[in-house]
Amino acid sequence: MNETSNLSGANPWIKWQQSCLDEGFAQARRMMNLPTVWRTAQRIKKGVTPSEVIYEEDRLKLLRYPTATPPRHRTPLLFVYALVNRPYILDLKQGRSVVAHFVNSGFDTYLLDWGVPTNADRHLTLDDYINGYLVNVVDYVCERTGSPQVNILGYCMGGTMSAMFTSLHQKKVKNLIMLAAGIDFATRDGLLNLWTRPEYFDVDKFVDAFGNCPAEFLQASFLLLNPVGNLIEKPINFIQNAESEKYIEDFLTTEMWLNDNIPVAGEVYREFVKYLYQQNLLVQNRMPVGKHIVKLGNITCPIMNIMARNDDLVPCAQSAPFNDLVSSKDRKSIVLPAGHIGLAIGSKAQKEVWPGVCDWLAERS
Amino acid sequence: MSENTEQLSEQMSKFQKIWMETFTGMAQNAFTFSPDSAPPEMLRQMRSGIFQALAKSWDEYLRSPQFMEATKQWMDSAIFYRKMTNDLLTKARHETEDVAREDIDSVLLAVRHMEKRILDRLEDLTARVDALDRAKANGSAKAAPGKRAAQPRTRRIPPKTPKEKP
Repeated sequence: MNETSNLSGANPWIKWQQSCLDEGFAQARRMMNLPTVWRTAQRIKKGVTPSEVIYEEDRLKLLRYPTATPPRHRTPLLFVYALVNRPYILDLKQGRSVVAHFVNSGFDTYLLDWGVPTNADRHLTLDDYINGYLVNVVDYVCERTGSPQVNILGYCMGGTMSAMFTSLHQKKVKNLIMLAAGIDFATRDGLLNLWTRPEYFDVDKFVDAFGNCPAEFLQASFLLLNPVGNLIEKPINFIQNAESEKYIEDFLTTEMWLNDNIPVAGEVYREFVKYLYQQNLLVQNRMPVGKHIVKLGNITCPIMNIMARNDDLVPCAQSAPFNDLVSSKDRKSIVLPAGHIGLAIGSKAQKEVWPGVCDWLAERS
Repeated sequence: MSENTEQLSEQMSKFQKIWMETFTGMAQNAFTFSPDSAPPEMLRQMRSGIFQALAKSWDEYLRSPQFMEATKQWMDSAIFYRKMTNDLLTKARHETEDVAREDIDSVLLAVRHMEKRILDRLEDLTARVDALDRAKANGSAKAAPGKRAAQPRTRRIPPKTPKEKP
């Protein structure tokens, strides 16, 4: 062995041959491991923390995460996820679950699953979601727990909706955590901000023709945000790491969620694109939700704004202005060197960010 | 006609430029290797460089007006095709005295308008009752209750009985 090392150190040609041979064997091992992919895929679950459905309305389901011991904090926590994907990304797998962090920290934790809209839901507006469903859910959680307020954690589009909800119903919210939530849509950093410009995208015609925004359309748009990464690098990396069972499991879990898109109710999509992406009304305090206008200055509760530096979907520039637009005195921002999903399930976020966020919330609950 | 040709040639030249730049970047990366590196490692470096060059060019292209113009045209065609299909299906269903999606949409919309009117009226009534309560509490019941600005409505539909699962 030592002799080989000496030889390879002395002769680059031998070193080349040796590394080619090693790579060949590694490639064979990867290929031999590929048949296990199907078996691994069968084992993957959607959401790992034990939960129960405690409230249903139309397509909506409210999940509660029961614990063996009573909650340590008085104010319950409600996760509000976006309308564009499934919410189990927040509870993806063991060791990568945001929900589990809060449950283990003694919070009475709830997750709002908006469900999958059908054609009958195409007329649902932001008013229905925010002043209808979300109000009902928050009231129900308050009644159930006896707490006058809830803590809200809003992710992505759910964060934007949570900010609107808090502005309209500040009395019901004790603390607000925003996770990669778009607020100021004037930025041109993100491709979505460019693609939805009114001269290139007529959202009225689109919604009138299609009704709900199709899941495939959203999926294609998200893939195109980083075509080389998503369509070329990702499969190559998968083959490269196919030796590792853990990598395969992580990969398949994330991919299953990424490809589990759902349509968005047509009117909500129209409002979101038109009022936010095209007219940027939220930062101008002119955003209509039903017949009410959202004024971010009405938000006075403590806020935590968590952003991802490499976010393709919601660039930092889109989230960062939130802290300056609210009236809260207790404001905090965290910028993590991660992507949009890495912010929730990335190992750095899991180790460094979420324990800190749990402590921050515990002090205020 | 000439405008369309001009647009098309602009798009083509932009696309050509992107690919030229991509290939230049890829070629540059392909020839920057050290003879000391082992072949697999060298290939990995080359591949990473090539992907970086590709990603940069594509990002540039996806931000270009040419791409957005092309997408707009594609979207317009998709919307036109969808509308045509919807119209055709509606006509066919109506011919057979069947219910089309458009009819269901109209009914849904009518229900929503009715719901909205009821909810608006409820909000007004809530505001008036609140104002009356306040006036009563302040002992100034003599004063006519002023109509206060409506608050965002709460509890639109009473929640269903919770479903507890073991």
